[in-house]
Amino acid sequence: MSGTSGPRILVPVGDSVTLRNTVAYAVRELTEASEDGSVHFVFPTHWQTRQLDEEAAEAAEELLDRIQTWVREDLDLEPDEEVPMSVTTALIATEEYLFSYRDYADSLVEYAREHDLDHIVFDPEYNPDGQGPLLSPIEAELDRLDDITYETAPVEREIRGRQLLTGGINIGTFLGTFVLSFLFYQFLGGFSGTFDYATGAISAGIVAAVLSGITFSGDFRPLRALRTIGRLLVYFPFLLWEIAKANLQVAYIVLHPSLPIDPSVERIRPAVPIGLPVTLLANSITLTPGTVTIDIRDREFYVHAFSQSSRDGLYDGDLERWVRFVFFGRGGFRIASLRERGQADESADDQESPPATEEADSV
Amino acid sequence: MTLVSEGLVGDVFLALVGAFILTAIVAMYRVIQGPTTQDRVIGVNAVGTTTVLIIALIAAVFDQPAFLDIAIVYALLNFLMSIAISKFTVERGGVL
Amino acid sequence: MSLLAWSAVALVVVGLFFTIVAAVGLIRLPDLYTRAHATSKADTLGTLLTLAGVAVVFQSGVPRIKLGLLAVFMLITTPTATHAITRAAHDQGIAPWVLGGDEE
Repeated sequence: MSGTSGPRILVPVGDSVTLRNTVAYAVRELTEASEDGSVHFVFPTHWQTRQLDEEAAEAAEELLDRIQTWVREDLDLEPDEEVPMSVTTALIATEEYLFSYRDYADSLVEYAREHDLDHIVFDPEYNPDGQGPLLSPIEAELDRLDDITYETAPVEREIRGRQLLTGGINIGTFLGTFVLSFLFYQFLGGFSGTFDYATGAISAGIVAAVLSGITFSGDFRPLRALRTIGRLLVYFPFLLWEIAKANLQVAYIVLHPSLPIDPSVERIRPAVPIGLPVTLLANSITLTPGTVTIDIRDREFYVHAFSQSSRDGLYDGDLERWVRFVFFGRGGFRIASLRERGQADESADDQESPPATEEADSV
Repeated sequence: MTLVSEGLVGDVFLALVGAFILTAIVAMYRVIQGPTTQDRVIGVNAVGTTTVLIIALIAAVFDQPAFLDIAIVYALLNFLMSIAISKFTVERGGVL
Repeated sequence: MSLLAWSAVALVVVGLFFTIVAAVGLIRLPDLYTRAHATSKADTLGTLLTLAGVAVVFQSGVPRIKLGLLAVFMLITTPTATHAITRAAHDQGIAPWVLGGDEE
């Protein structure tokens, strides 16, 4: 490892409220050091983003461009002036699965080693794909390494409460929230006249003003939402059929005198992006034959399965395909099933499993 | 004008309401017996779901669509109850 | 009684059957996780069928819309609540019942 010249910093970036300040902090670190240093801003992304969602890939590229601009701003450069230190932006891990904290940490470390970087600066609100607080598990992974240090950028966190009211109202999300709450109000009230329309409009206005900032994750894109809802309607009959089958099975088992069950907990890693798709998949798993989603950690589903046949059904991955179809269109069907991806037996050697499930897995 | 005015439907529905109530009482066994907190929560949740159905049926029997609002609110409360108890039995912030 | 009335009664009766299945499962099954199967699935279908039966009885639009909302709401919340409850149990380290586990 070199480490002889100035600071060599790696900053994983993603869309976050404190990103701007984190970039400023990294640049300040560089300019305050006497020697030349370099900073790499990397956007860890996962393979599905590119494969299924070109918009997300474009958004990532755009974010990296924006960072370049911010760096120039922070250094007070003239438009044609060269950046005096080495600033690199990159998309990493585009061909790999990035599912768990360890995967994220691994790909960061790999990148750091490859480019001879020895310090990682985290954005305190860094939160890839909306996975929830991710920093401490990544930091725990990095603690095991000697040659790479890390810190969290000391920048002000936005207080969530401020986003509610003063975060700047986005017209798209405002209208989306307004229309949805107004319709809900009218459905409950039964479209019963001018008075209801007026009170409905007032209530919806208040709701939209206060909550539009947190109603949708990201921008509200009506066309995309409509297409998703359309595909959801295609999915629905299939789901109902599965629910009917599940119920006949449960009825058979419950009313059978000898309770023919052989339960176990399975761990699977479905290839669906986090957020709404995971929620839909988890709920669908719960509603369909013989399986209940117990827990989701690091994108790993803990699924309680009733019997051998329901385990087989789970690994066939029909539901998973359908959920991908709902959110991404036909391309979602083409990804291999869990069994084909070799997930069926992989779960047994995971060290992070809580004691309760290890017992079940050995059966 | 609803089907209830045909007379018999109302009576049949009332009988079915009785059956639903018996079912809820059976499910109460799990609430009382436990053994874990979560068993009780699942039991209460099942009783709550049955209650929503009973309210909906009663709305049909007495031809009172307004009762359906009560059913919706009750369903909401039932859901919140499960989530809240689950959240507070786990001592780490945020179950959902 | 008209055919419509019969179909309403039939829907509610089948719904009642699945609700009973859920209750019996709740009593008979050996542990929390398996009981969650019974309530999450049987209760959901029981609810959907019963609400459909009630919707047939109400012959105007607004109550049907409300019933539809209620059905969608139940369809989303029942598995979510089940998930929250089992997850709480899983977090507390309550071990799932397994075949032959009783003899040890």
